[in-house]
This record gives sequence, structure tokens and C-alpha cells, in this order.
Amino acid sequence: MKLVSKLFGEINIDNSKIVEFENGIIGFPDLKKFTLIYDEENEGGGINWLQCIDEPEFALPVVNPLFISEKYDPFINDELLRPLGELNENNLCVLVTITVPQDIKKLSVNLKAPIIINVEKKKGTQLIVEDNFPVKYEIYNVLESRKAEEEGGK
Amino acid sequence: MLALSRKKGEALILNNDIEITVLEIKGDQVKLGIQAPKEVPVYRKEIYLQIQKENQDSMNIDGLDALKKLF
Repeated sequence: MKLVSKLFGEINIDNSKIVEFENGIIGFPDLKKFTLIYDEENEGGGINWLQCIDEPEFALPVVNPLFISEKYDPFINDELLRPLGELNENNLCVLVTITVPQDIKKLSVNLKAPIIINVEKKKGTQLIVEDNFPVKYEIYNVLESRKAEEEGGK
Repeated sequence: MLALSRKKGEALILNNDIEITVLEIKGDQVKLGIQAPKEVPVYRKEIYLQIQKENQDSMNIDGLDALKKLF
């Protein structure tokens, strides 16, 4: 199907790659269908986009939390994930949303409410974790120093 | 909004499978017990609203070019 998204213009969506969020994302129960848009250059290491199918003007920048912090290991009650089907290391995809404020130095990720996707079953959900992770975890400095390291190593 | 009065120890049933009981009343604080199927998430509203706001902000991207430079 074709979709005109706000950020990427007209894009072709592979129907088999649509992920269903039965209850929407938190605060937006009507946003139920999304697809993940990858940046090919970064091979999944960089920003991905959770593009909403129901409302094409909505897309959330997301990132693998392990790209930000290797220690990210929130406790998640398995029962809350039951609607996603059986999860294992091959079908589990965890993402956190990125918030881009006007002041880029305040760039942050939301570690309190990860997005969990079963990529085989194409089912996803967003949960609030009990652990004391911040809603706004600032990442500008982490990314800057990593970038500097990469460029220094070239 | 439906308003119902309950005393300590009394409860409400929602949707056949969710029970909310008033456990304790102390001054302006009420302790509630919630019995719901385990796959039903229960959140404090202020945290829920905080995440809703964060999702909203995440969808409003101001500095896309600046963001791309960082990754």
C-alpha cells in the first residue's frame, strides 16, 4: 500500500510488515498499526522510525535501547506480554522513543516506557516499567562522544 | 462520569473480571485494591499522562537535521 507520510513523503508499505498494537500506544489508543522504517546506511544501529499507518502524519523516532546503554534491562511482567505471543531472542524487538526538543542538547530517550514487538507475529505494545528508569534520559553527550570517537578512529 | 459512593471494604466490579476494593481511608488518602487479569496494565494516572505527553512530544520533531547528524 502507498502512504503519504509527513516525514518521508510518499512511501510504499509492505503489508506483511505492518505491526499491530492492539491497544495503541500509551495515550493514543487509536494508533494501532505501525511499520518500522530503517535507515539502511546505519544497519539498524541508528534511528528507526515507527511510522503510524492509521494516521500517516505520526511517526516516532525510536532506537534500540542497548545502542544507548548496555545496562538497560527493565523488569517486565511476562503476563503483560502474553498478548504478543511467545517471545524469544529471535523474535523480540525492544525500542525506546526519542524526543527531539528545539534545543538538540536536551535530546532524550524514554526508558520508562519501552516498546516491545514480536517481529514474527507482528504484534507490539508499549508498557510502563516499574523500575526507576527516567522518562527523559538525555543522550546528547553519549552520542556526541561516540561520534567523536568514531571519527577519531577513521 | 458515573459517581458511586463506597465505604471501606466495599468494591466495584468492572467488565466482569476487574474488581476494585476500597481497602483503607485515611484523611484525604484512599488505598485501593485492584484485582484484574494479569495482562491488564494498571497505571497511576500521573505517570500515564507523563508518557502520553512524551509520546506526543516524540511525534513532534523540531530538529530532524540536527538529529540525523548525531546518529
